[in-house]
Amino acid sequence: MTSNKILVIGGGPAGLEAARSVAELGGDVVLIEKRARLGGTPDRENYAKLTHHWRDASEAMGELAASVTNNPNVEVKYQAEVKGLSGSAGSFTVQIETGGAAESLEVGAVIVATGFQHFDPGRATQYYNYYSFPDVITLTDLEKMLKEHKVVRPSNGEAPEKVAFIQCVGSRDRQIGNEYCSKVCCGIASKQAIEIKEQLPGAKVFIFYIDMRMYGYWENEIYWPAQEKYKVNYVKGVVSEVLPKNGKLLMRGEDTTMSRPMEVTMDLIVLSVGMEPSAGTRSIAQLLDIRQNKYGFVEAGGESGLDPVATSRPGIFVAGAASGPADLDDSISRAGLAAARAVALVRKELA
Amino acid sequence: MAVKYQKAIAIEKEQAVVDGMDISGHWNRMFEQRVIFEYTPELIEKVASISEAESFANCYQCAKCVAVCPVDVVGNYGPRKLYRYAQTGLDLTEAPELWLCTTCANCLRVCPKEVNMVKIMPATREQAILDGKFVPSELQQAFEATANTGNPLGQPQRKREAWVQNAGVDVPVLRDLGRPVDVLWYVGSYPSYHPRGMDAASAAARIFTALGIDFAILGKEEKDDADSQRLAGEKGLFEMMAEYNIETFNKYEWNEMVVTGPHELNAFKNVYPKYGFERPVVHYTTFLARHLDRLKPLLKHPVNKKITYHDPCYLGRHNGEYEAPRQLLEAIPGVELVEMARNRQNGYCCGGGGGGMWMDSFTAKHTTMRLSEKRAMEAASTGADVLAVACPFEVSRFEDAVKSTGNEHVGVLDILELLDKSMRGE
Repeated sequence: MTSNKILVIGGGPAGLEAARSVAELGGDVVLIEKRARLGGTPDRENYAKLTHHWRDASEAMGELAASVTNNPNVEVKYQAEVKGLSGSAGSFTVQIETGGAAESLEVGAVIVATGFQHFDPGRATQYYNYYSFPDVITLTDLEKMLKEHKVVRPSNGEAPEKVAFIQCVGSRDRQIGNEYCSKVCCGIASKQAIEIKEQLPGAKVFIFYIDMRMYGYWENEIYWPAQEKYKVNYVKGVVSEVLPKNGKLLMRGEDTTMSRPMEVTMDLIVLSVGMEPSAGTRSIAQLLDIRQNKYGFVEAGGESGLDPVATSRPGIFVAGAASGPADLDDSISRAGLAAARAVALVRKELA
Repeated sequence: MAVKYQKAIAIEKEQAVVDGMDISGHWNRMFEQRVIFEYTPELIEKVASISEAESFANCYQCAKCVAVCPVDVVGNYGPRKLYRYAQTGLDLTEAPELWLCTTCANCLRVCPKEVNMVKIMPATREQAILDGKFVPSELQQAFEATANTGNPLGQPQRKREAWVQNAGVDVPVLRDLGRPVDVLWYVGSYPSYHPRGMDAASAAARIFTALGIDFAILGKEEKDDADSQRLAGEKGLFEMMAEYNIETFNKYEWNEMVVTGPHELNAFKNVYPKYGFERPVVHYTTFLARHLDRLKPLLKHPVNKKITYHDPCYLGRHNGEYEAPRQLLEAIPGVELVEMARNRQNGYCCGGGGGGMWMDSFTAKHTTMRLSEKRAMEAASTGADVLAVACPFEVSRFEDAVKSTGNEHVGVLDILELLDKSMRGE
């Protein structure tokens, strides 16, 4: 039976924006979220600040979530999961399990916003020893420290004097299977480097990179201030070995613009882990029978290649990092587009 | 932790023959890759914390500067390299690299981050001088000569106007004239004392006279502008000279100052205003180009030469004058003007700026050839008979350079001399 309801799967930035946009366009939305909270990865991973206006991540996500929960057109189901889907565009029947209780829902269209997960640095081919050395951490570990204003060496609780970011961990790597650029890590590492300098002005902060990918305004809003104002040191050449040395970490690599080997000690090493499809993205894609690309992300683009929210199955749209590495701008703008497409579809079906 | 900046260790095989070719000893010299054990951002900061040198810290290693750095063309240099050297242990305030930059500004022209070596170098050199760090001895001599005699050549002040006796025309001196003049002609140190500079000065005097310009010089009251000394790090000396010069300029009534040299133009037009001197100043090429309608009929005799023109950094890039010199050359009957590949905004530096004029021996130790030699070869490769110049530093530099590179057939003449030749038919 044709329904004007739109199902949004996932309560992260993309899902929230999709739900809000559908509601603002006058549509009815059911938003289902696996966790008991909205806010997605920025909330779950304790993001400190966003690159946008340096805003507090909880605050910004809180506002976005409130705009959804306060909207009478949206029904939010927490601790809910999709268990099955049948039908076709305009009249899908979805099986949902909410807190153990099963129910069936008639919806006209579906927006998948199940997001990404951070690369597990244990899988890196380089010997970064994330699981052996407590002072080797990831971007997400550091976000949490920054949020708590407690940037320390986990091994001894002391503030680090020298911090190094290592870029492209788990990205741009054929052997690992993630050939793509994760798009946000250069900006996030630089943002975090600035935050470290704000919290620990005496620290020396380095970013070791293959090439800095500071898209658009990140160049002038993050990269340049990081270097010019906060004195973050950028060194071209990625580290391929981390060894213990006198209670510190010895990084070995090559300084490519100097054509010299490099063996420097650091107090804290931050791995700039990239993006991979979340477990939810992988399973939902199979469940909904929508095509995934070779990396496991939902394949998007449609026939024309110019429809970034179309999946292989009509009536099912994708938004956010479920379809590939995305920053907040990408996620939110694609969510708005997915909402517009979904609303247009159900109205056409109902007409 | 202090890190000593060290040169690579050379490895030589005493005996080595490859494909029948004996490459024993230094012919097979190899350099060991030195491991970076410590990064030294504090040495970047040491430079960037000096007032005016802040932009040193802004380099993001695009390397656009290196290709256009005239020193790199004959050596291994460039602003982006200095940044990395500092990041890996080099204290720029005590390194030879501090003294190789000619402040030609070609790097700044292409720098996306506006890293400004024209400000960084003088400020850092000044700091090195104040800290008693290494300063090339020949530069030190030029500083001392300027302080003691009023000019970097160390010539006596009383002989500053001696050249006028050979000018063939009356060259009025303000002190004796006792009336206001339209044009105060600031002759400059090299045109006053250097034999080939005097040739240009005499030519200028004849041209001004033929044009009926109401001009006068300062004669024995004239002292060096000291802009190159400032760029070489001697700000104190510069300020002392500027104070004297401004006082002298203000003693007399005149409408406009014409200078023979681009460095003087830069000093009086761009730097002296910070010390209270704000009067109209033009380079002679600009001034004469303005009088071209009246000058042209005077250029009666053809100069049948193929001529290439070298843009002085301080006339071109620093002050934007590219066309007046060319207009003057093209106004001379018989002249065929040809361009070197590097011209105008991308003109190659002669090596004389920023104190380089007085550091040739020092610079030679760190480069494969002099910048002036590189430029002389570029001039010769155009097939030109004459390398025309518009900066008093350049005649002597290029005359040496055409000889040392085996291009004696290329004459080096100031545009003033070429105009004078056409006027007088010599």
